[in-house]
Amino acid sequence: MQLALGPLLYYWSREDTLAFYEAALAWPVDIVYLGETVCSRRHLLRLPDWIELAGRFTAAGKQAVLASQTLIESESDLKALRKMVAWVSTPSQALSPRGGGSGVLVEANEWGAVRLLAEAKLPFVAGPTLNAYNPDTLALLAELGAVRWVPPVEMPRDMLAAMPIPEGMQTELFAYGRLPLAFSARCFTARHYNLQKDDCQFRCIDHPDGLVLASREGEDFLCINGIQTQSAKVMSLAHRLGELNAANVDVLRISPQSRHTEKIVALFRALLDGSLTAAETPAKLAPFLPAQPCDGYWLGQAGMAWQPERHLEGIAP
Amino acid sequence: MKLPAFPQVFARVIARLPAWPPSVAFAAACNRAAWPTLGELDWSAAHGKRFRVHVKDVGLSMYLSVHESGLRPEKTGPVDVTFTATAEDFARLSLRLEDPDTLFFNRRLLIEGDTDLGLTLKNLLDAVDWDELARRMPLALGWVAQAARQRLLPAPT
Amino acid sequence: MPLLELICPAGSLPALKAAVDHGADGVYLGLKDNTNARNFAGLNFDEKSLKEGIRYAQGRGRKVLMALNTYPQPATLPRWHKAVDTAAELGVNAIILADPGLMGYALKTHPDLRLHLSVQGSATSYEAVNFYRERFGIQRAVLPRVLSLAQVENVVDNTDVEIELFGFGGLCVMVEGRCLLSSYACGDSPNTFGACSPGHAVRWEQTAKGMETRLNGVLIDRYADHEKAGYPTLCKGRFEVQGETYYALEEPTSLNSLEMLPEMARMGIAAVKIEGRQRSPAYVAQVTRVWRAAIDSVKRAPEQFKALPAWMAELAKVSEGSMNTLGAYYRPWK
Repeated sequence: MQLALGPLLYYWSREDTLAFYEAALAWPVDIVYLGETVCSRRHLLRLPDWIELAGRFTAAGKQAVLASQTLIESESDLKALRKMVAWVSTPSQALSPRGGGSGVLVEANEWGAVRLLAEAKLPFVAGPTLNAYNPDTLALLAELGAVRWVPPVEMPRDMLAAMPIPEGMQTELFAYGRLPLAFSARCFTARHYNLQKDDCQFRCIDHPDGLVLASREGEDFLCINGIQTQSAKVMSLAHRLGELNAANVDVLRISPQSRHTEKIVALFRALLDGSLTAAETPAKLAPFLPAQPCDGYWLGQAGMAWQPERHLEGIAP
Repeated sequence: MKLPAFPQVFARVIARLPAWPPSVAFAAACNRAAWPTLGELDWSAAHGKRFRVHVKDVGLSMYLSVHESGLRPEKTGPVDVTFTATAEDFARLSLRLEDPDTLFFNRRLLIEGDTDLGLTLKNLLDAVDWDELARRMPLALGWVAQAARQRLLPAPT
Repeated sequence: MPLLELICPAGSLPALKAAVDHGADGVYLGLKDNTNARNFAGLNFDEKSLKEGIRYAQGRGRKVLMALNTYPQPATLPRWHKAVDTAAELGVNAIILADPGLMGYALKTHPDLRLHLSVQGSATSYEAVNFYRERFGIQRAVLPRVLSLAQVENVVDNTDVEIELFGFGGLCVMVEGRCLLSSYACGDSPNTFGACSPGHAVRWEQTAKGMETRLNGVLIDRYADHEKAGYPTLCKGRFEVQGETYYALEEPTSLNSLEMLPEMARMGIAAVKIEGRQRSPAYVAQVTRVWRAAIDSVKRAPEQFKALPAWMAELAKVSEGSMNTLGAYYRPWK
């Protein structure tokens, strides 16, 4: 099983972002997703910056993936997408057949990107918002060039286990981090500051792990991150390694957070290497979580549920 | 807003029925007048569940359940779901002059308890063919209901 | 290509008849299961009522569109296939799909069946719309309620696919098909279960503090006696952010784009959709009547079109929280 560092979902200063990736070059992850997937107004790093980082991660022996925008609204969003695809398809960036090794892949997060990537005959990663919930759609993605897919974050173990995986397709699961739950045209961070989105003053930058939204009874519930709404709780599946293996998960995605990501990665690596047992992980991870954990989606329950003591038995026929 | 006359009369009639348990009266009247039509829908999701119709302005509650043979009056006590509204609003709802969600947004209709059961009953009542219902009612009642509905329907725009 | 067809919701046979009787050009409906995104108890059509609905609507020259717009799952895939077969056999005018896999099935099994891309397909760019066109021959796409009118126009100008927009009704603040808030709270999402905030997870209760709405135990909102209420969806709840309690995502409000009809006509929008299959025949009649009059008016004389106060009042009356918004069509909303 491999480890992936998912795309940075928040908006950090250029210095903080570059420092984060500088450090990550040395982390024991196999795959790194680079790029802005949430908001097209975020501009402190632009495509050339991400490409440069991709080159450095490739040189460091990791697979770099350029993650594309989830919500495409305007012609300029499409231009950015086309630029990314064009860069990846230039002959100087020769791709190995599986997209592994020195090649840089693109993660498609909506079907317009799939169209462009398929037209360019490029292998790609099918991101979680492509909504592949069934074998036919997954087979279609494989036919169009997907070499890896990330199931929708709400997909339970039983549904995943029932999916026949096309030949050559890897399964990557969102295994750690605040869950990306929804995307909107509206910016909720700007709304919180009574600003319009077009004049948001980039206030996301003040909230490096998002803005927590609590119920009126004080229960932390969701997390505002610009146009994205996340869970307040942190999805954590490390303690379910046996079930993840049994469900043929190939890659675990760790979603970056502003602090302790390195320690989280190290714990997951220790888990995969066998120097840490799955049962030990909740206690080991706890000091580094920005909020309470959850694992309900994997169990087929409310995503916010946390039942580490409940184990899933064999998969029903 | 001026109260339409029919629901007022309706409310007064209901209010003056204390001697006859209203649940019994309502179930009997409904079974006779409406069940031949209502019964054609699939009420199985609601079978055996107890619900309460709370007419708040009149201070009256009817306890009922649905079975294959129709409505059955129930004794007071715990229920699965409670509908609360005024007599006028219940009358307007049953004549399909008002949209239940609109009443809910305006805080004129409250569904407490098993929401799924509440929505099932609401949606099934919406699925009743009203013209068919009125046609199959005992003649006089059907005529009164249609007349009341026609009178209360908004004028064409 | 059609212009401003009026497509109205039918959660039941009486609602379908109300839509047809009050001037809808087409109705959309779904079956009584999770193959469509209004999977609420007691709602929707079985084969018998579907047949009668098709007979009633098509007999009066109107169209019946069947929504099969949730995402099929491995264990229950045959249910979606059977629903597509039923739609084809009974002769609906089109099916509205979100899942590419299901489009593949429909195209292969019923090549003559007209396909529409559902709003749940989350296509916000012409690249995405054209993907479905090339691959599955979709004839129409319903755009998510997240684009400004200028962005909509950019899609219209770059595709042969007919574009349908939401005109009125419940407003999803999130990109449809990309919202898992409901399943995070209660386990069921529109994508797989076919409902947002399903009834089994919702509890309303009148308490001393006000009327409380809970979703799987989480307090979504508490209304004082004088306050208007909204649906028990998470995006319309009141929450606390940095010590401030407010409608953090959106107020209880409905979309109403009626005043934009002349713009939509100019852009060549093929159809306008009214939301609300979960609502009563009374609502369908009221809203269809107003929109029929408005569309007739804009087609007659677009320059002279005015959104009549009487229309707007009628629509506000049936709106969530009794409030209306232009939503994302009006850019500052974002």
